This record gives sequence, structure tokens and C-alpha cells, in this order.
Amino acid sequence: MPEVEMVDATDVVLKVENLKKFFPVRKGVFSRVRSFLHAVDDVSFEIKRGEVLALVGESGCGKTTTGKTLVRLHSPTDGKITFLNRDVTHLRSAVDRKWFHGKSQMIFQDPFESLNPRKTIFDIVSEPMNIQSEGSLKYREEKTMEILKRVGISPPNAFLWRYPHELSGGQRQRVAIARALVMNPEFVVADEPTSMLDVSIRTQVMKLMMNLISDMHMSFLYITHDLAVARYMSDYISVMYLGKMVEYGETEEVIQNPLHPYTKALISAVPVPDPEFKRKSIQIKGGIGKAIDPLPRCRFYDRCPFAMDVCAKEEPSLVDVDDGHKVACFLYDKKEE
Amino acid sequence: MKPILEVKNLKMYYNTRSGYVKAADDVSFVLNEGEAMGLVGESGCGKTTTSMAIMRLLAENAEIISGHIYFKGKDLLKLSEEEMNKVRWAGISMIFQAAMNSLNPVYRVGDQIIEAIVTHEPNVTFEEARERVASLYKLVGLDPKRMDNYPHEYSGGMKQRAVIAMSLSCNPDIIIADEPTTALDVIVQDMILKEMSRIQKKLNMSMIYISHDIAVIAEVAEKIGIMYAGKLVELSDSVTIFKKPAHPYTVGLMSSFPSIKGEKKELVTIPGEPPNLLNAPDSCRFAPRCPFATKECWEKEPPYEEIEPNHFLACFHPQNLRKQVSEYARG
Ligand SMILES: Nc1ncnc2c1ncn2[C@@H]1O[C@H](COP(=O)(O)OP(=O)(O)OP(=O)(O)O)[C@@H](O)[C@H]1O
Ligand SMILES: Nc1ncnc2c1ncn2[C@@H]1O[C@H](COP(=O)(O)OP(=O)(O)OP(=O)(O)O)[C@@H](O)[C@H]1O
Ligand code: SF4
Ligand code: SF4
Ligand SMILES: [Mg+2]
Ligand SMILES: [Mg+2]
Repeated sequence: MPEVEMVDATDVVLKVENLKKFFPVRKGVFSRVRSFLHAVDDVSFEIKRGEVLALVGESGCGKTTTGKTLVRLHSPTDGKITFLNRDVTHLRSAVDRKWFHGKSQMIFQDPFESLNPRKTIFDIVSEPMNIQSEGSLKYREEKTMEILKRVGISPPNAFLWRYPHELSGGQRQRVAIARALVMNPEFVVADEPTSMLDVSIRTQVMKLMMNLISDMHMSFLYITHDLAVARYMSDYISVMYLGKMVEYGETEEVIQNPLHPYTKALISAVPVPDPEFKRKSIQIKGGIGKAIDPLPRCRFYDRCPFAMDVCAKEEPSLVDVDDGHKVACFLYDKKEE
Repeated sequence: MKPILEVKNLKMYYNTRSGYVKAADDVSFVLNEGEAMGLVGESGCGKTTTSMAIMRLLAENAEIISGHIYFKGKDLLKLSEEEMNKVRWAGISMIFQAAMNSLNPVYRVGDQIIEAIVTHEPNVTFEEARERVASLYKLVGLDPKRMDNYPHEYSGGMKQRAVIAMSLSCNPDIIIADEPTTALDVIVQDMILKEMSRIQKKLNMSMIYISHDIAVIAEVAEKIGIMYAGKLVELSDSVTIFKKPAHPYTVGLMSSFPSIKGEKKELVTIPGEPPNLLNAPDSCRFAPRCPFATKECWEKEPPYEEIEPNHFLACFHPQNLRKQVSEYARG
């Protein structure tokens, strides 16, 4: 069993180094050449205790794959994941797996799909404790009631024996959150947890999560395609484009002062809920594709209004350009000049 | 400004085994020529129902209980099915919710639009229709060469553009766009909305944009109607709706929406959940969630009235924005 972790408030809970997740694809039905879709390609970052990192980017850029790889619903193709100072890249032994899964959780986008329709709310929420064989039945029941109350399902005993279909969308997502948090995890991946919810319910769930994160001092990876939501939920933002992390920095810094041409375009396209605000968007051509056997060049090259020769020949790497604000773009890479 | 569409006291209910679902309940508004109006509200509040009533595309169990829908002065609810068919597409056309997923996968996209044209305009030849589709493709920013492709060869954004081209195919006076960009990424959404606004102005069409996203509506609509639980609860020009909303629900909605611009304000939460519309009571439907509800609100329905020029409201206690937000925060 793991030794007691001595970690203080500033400690790094999760460290990700050069993480890769490739999916094999076949180009044609009879093709024998193996191609790979680079869903996550050489991504590195850290999340400290109590910190929320938002992962943003357009559909297909690799957000969910990153999240699933981190909680080990996918095994990484390459790279290293360190969790509470232990290497969890491979999780070879059952003991390691149990330890890791007890401390990391994932919340999914669709509360209609992610909860087993044949199980009661009690079964669903207490399942992580069963898997970890934690406590007596009575203890589990108490814990379940307690966490249901925390997430605003009240009175909890009125819900324990209900089934998911007897709950509203907002209630279901609260139950999914309760299930993820019942074991006091150190690290949670939340994959678009509010995008299926109604506006008024969405704000309730966002606020609930913000409160829980600060009360329970968890580390959070918050996946969203909505930059305005990311602004409210996170301390740091990381922008992905076709499997690459193209920008990383403090949330307000990235929103107010985006550096990467893609981030600039993305932020400029977000509609503003103010009819008097005259938004100017940066037009970029084309659409997002798939990174199948990508060439060693900037993945934004075809769409970038600032593309230079070097961008077609080499891949820019993520470099710190201003006090922790990182960007992967040759426009900021002074060495190239 | 000349009205082109007038919806008056429209009641459309769904008759179900357990009773009436009052999905559009006494809805009234005017859409003027060349105007872009937004209809906002949460899931299930009756946005699609209202537009289906205007198109007179009724679900089997839908019943129009009362009301009028005047289009260019004629009451659509009094037209025969044959007359209504002439209004559909050529007078009022609609971009249906999730329409891009409803393109038929086995037919070429261009042919599906040609089909729509020749069905509604039997005098148009195939060649003429094909030419029209080519120019519509250019108008919505698609390469006419792509007409002969199948839907699976289109990206999501291209499909949505094709659906917009289809809605324009019979030169309608009004287009109702039901969540036209909801499934799209933000950069594509931005392009499509810009395109739609440009076309609308260029052709001087009237538009009704339906969305649950107030940021989208803020950008495209001059006038906004807020729906809650089957009721139109507030309607005014977009600046009034955003800057001095009078309905407590509108206030809550406006201050619960995160924005990427401006100072980062505390988000307000509206407590509770939207009600079930089945056998909805004759009281204010927002009362269970409203920080200002009084006895009166629980006893009768607030009338929908013009409280100042071009500002319509259904609430007994309209108050100002700032005061209400702090009420919410306390509650
Ligand atoms: N199990 C899988 N097998 C093969 N390809 C996959 C698999 N899962 C994801 N992909 C591909 O990997 C890429 C990244 O997908 P991912 O779901 O991580 O994107 P995302 O950023 O979460 O997108 P969205 O915003 O649409 O959820 C996509 O091109 C996707 O098609
Ligand atoms: N055929 C039907 N029979 C019974 N109830 C229905 C029927 N169609 C819709 N409803 C109900 O009527 C109400 C209004 O539905 P409608 O589709 O108009 O909402 P909406 O505002 O368009 O929602 P969304 O944003 O989810 O599209 C909902 O409560 C819905 O469940
Ligand atoms: S590296 Fe070059 S192509 Fe890539 S974003 Fe920067 S300027 Fe554009
Ligand atoms: S009528 Fe009463 S309950 Fe309804 S919104 Fe107005 S104040 Fe609130
Ligand atoms: Mg995803
Ligand atoms: Mg709808």
C-alpha cells in the first residue's frame, strides 16, 4: 500500500509530461498501411492542489481524450503521468489501480447517459465506496446522504431509492457530481459538465462546483468549449488545437491577452451578451480537420493569417514567453529570428 | 415600420393523456418588415411550439385553442391547408432545430434544395431551380461545385449553410431560425451568424431567431422576447431587455450568463427549476422561483401589458435591475 503522502497546499497534484494518445486508423478498407490519429500529441502541464485548469478548444481537438487518458480510461501511447509524486503512467498492479481510482474521478457531459438507468441513486453514488470496499453499509448510506445534501439534492432520503429517469437533467448532473466526490478525490476531470443543462440550472451547477472545489481543495481539469464558462470556472486555461496544447496561462491573462493566432480567433468569435458591444472577430479560413499522421509543421499552418516559412518546416514548441504565459508559435519564438 | 407578422393571444396546447400541456399560452407579438427578432428561453418553454404554430405544422396532439396569426394582414389560422401551403416556404420559411442532421443522407445536397423549390413552385424547371441553388450557394458562402456532394461529405458548418440556403430557396418574407448554430463550434457559429445577418439585411427579410443563448441573440436581434414556461413574459428592443429588464426572470437570466468581455461579475443563480407545463395553474408561472412573489402572484396570472412604449411585460411587480440582482443574491 502507498505510504502516507506528505503534500502541502502548494504541491503539484498532477504532473503530465509529453503525453501522447494516438488512435490507429485505416485509410482505406484494404489498406495495410497503419495510420495514426494524433488525438493528444506531446502535451505537458501541471495542476496544483486546489487549482482548476480549463481545457478549451473546438470539437475534436482532443479534450475528452486528454481527460480520459489522465483518469486512465485510456492508456497513454507515450509520456509520463505523475500523481501525488507517484508514477501512474502504467498502473501495473491491482493495488496501484485501486489506489489511483480511489483518488481520481471523472464527471461526464451527458447526465442522461452517464448514470446507469437500472440503478438507484443510492447504488450509483455509493458505488465508488463499494469498489474501494470502504466502510459498513450504514457508513456508506450516511456518506451518500451527506454528499447528496452537499450537491443540493434535498432531502436526500427522498431521492435515495429513485432511478435516474425520475430526476431532472440538473438533478442528474448533481448526482453525477455527488458520485465523483463521495470518496473525496484529489483530482477530478469534469468533461463539459454543464453543457447539456439549461441556462438557469447551468449557473446553479457551476456555482456548486466552484464551492465544492474550494471547500474540498480538489484539483480540477474542467473541459469546456465555452470560453466564457472557462473564465468563471478556472484559474488557468489551456487551449488545444488538433491534439496540441497551443497556449497556457492564467485564465484572465489568456482571455485578455491571447497570444496564439488560434486563441485570438477563438476568443474573438465568442458572442458577447451585450447588444451595445461591437465585437470584431478575426476571420480565419477553413475548418478544423483531423491530425492523421500529421506533418512536422505547425498544425494551424493552413489557417493561420500570420504563417511564415518556418511554420511549414518545423513544429513550434510550447515556450514560456511571459511569466508563466506559454505559447507554441514561431511569432513568439525569438530564437527563430 | 410596417408589421408583417402579428401573433395575437395565441394558445396552442398539447393534448396528452394526463391533461393539457400549455406550451404556448397567450403569446402575442409583432414582427415588422426587415426586423430581426429573438425568442429566448430555456428548454421546454415553448419556443419551437410557437414557431410551429406560425408555420401551422402541428403535432398530432397539438390543438390551437385560440388566437390569431396575421401574416401580411391575413389570419393564417383561417387559411385552408392548400392556401397555407403557399405561405410555407414562399412566405414564411423555417430552419428547423437540428435541421442539419435531417438532410437526407442518400440524396445529393443540391438535389434536396432543388426538390424543395420545384415542389413549391411547379412552374420552375429543373434547370432554373439548379441555377437558383447555385446562386444561393454563393450567397451563403458555399462553393456551387459542392451541390453534387452528399451530406456526409459536408462539415457541420457546411450542412448548416446548406440548410440556410434551403430556407432561402423560395424567397420568403420571413425566416424562423430555430437554434441555427447550437451544434456548431464558436468560430463556425460566428461565420454563420454573420452570414445570416448580412443576407437578412441585404434582402430586407424579417427574421425570428430562436435560441437559449442570450449572447447569440444579443448579437443578431434588434428586438427580444423572453419566454418562460409557455408564456411570453417580456418583450422589448434588445438594449432595454439587456440594460433595464423589468421581469424578475429576465433579470435573473441576464445576470446568470457568463461573459468573456467586461469585468468579471458574480453570477446570479435563479433558484429552483422550470415548472412542468402539464395543467399549468392560473398563477404566475415564475412565482415558485421569484424573490418578489406576493400573494397576488400566486392567485392570478399577471396580464401581458405595454408598460412603456414598445416594452411589454407580464408581471405584477416590475422593479429595476440593480435592486433585483441584489435580491437574488440574498435569496
Ligand atoms: N476511441 C477513439 N478511437 C478513434 N478515434 C477517436 C477515439 N476517441 C476520439 N477519437 C478522435 O480523436 C480526436 C479527439 O477527440 P476528442 O473526443 O478527444 O475531442 P474533444 O476535444 O473532446 O471534442 P468535443 O468537443 O467534440 O467533445 C477526434 O478526431 C476523435 O474523432
Ligand atoms: N407533441 C407533444 N406532446 C406533448 N407535449 C409536447 C409535445 N411537443 C412538445 N411538448 C412539450 O411542450 C413544451 C414546449 O416544447 P417546445 O419544443 O416548444 O420547447 P422549446 O422551447 O423549443 O425547447 P428546446 O429549447 O428544448 O427546443 C415542453 O414542455 C414539451 O415537453
Ligand atoms: S507557428 Fe506560424 S502558422 Fe503556427 S500559429 Fe504561429 S505563425 Fe501561425
Ligand atoms: S408576477 Fe409576481 S411572481 Fe410573477 S414574476 Fe412578477 S413578481 Fe414574480
Ligand atoms: Mg469531448
Ligand atoms: Mg425547441
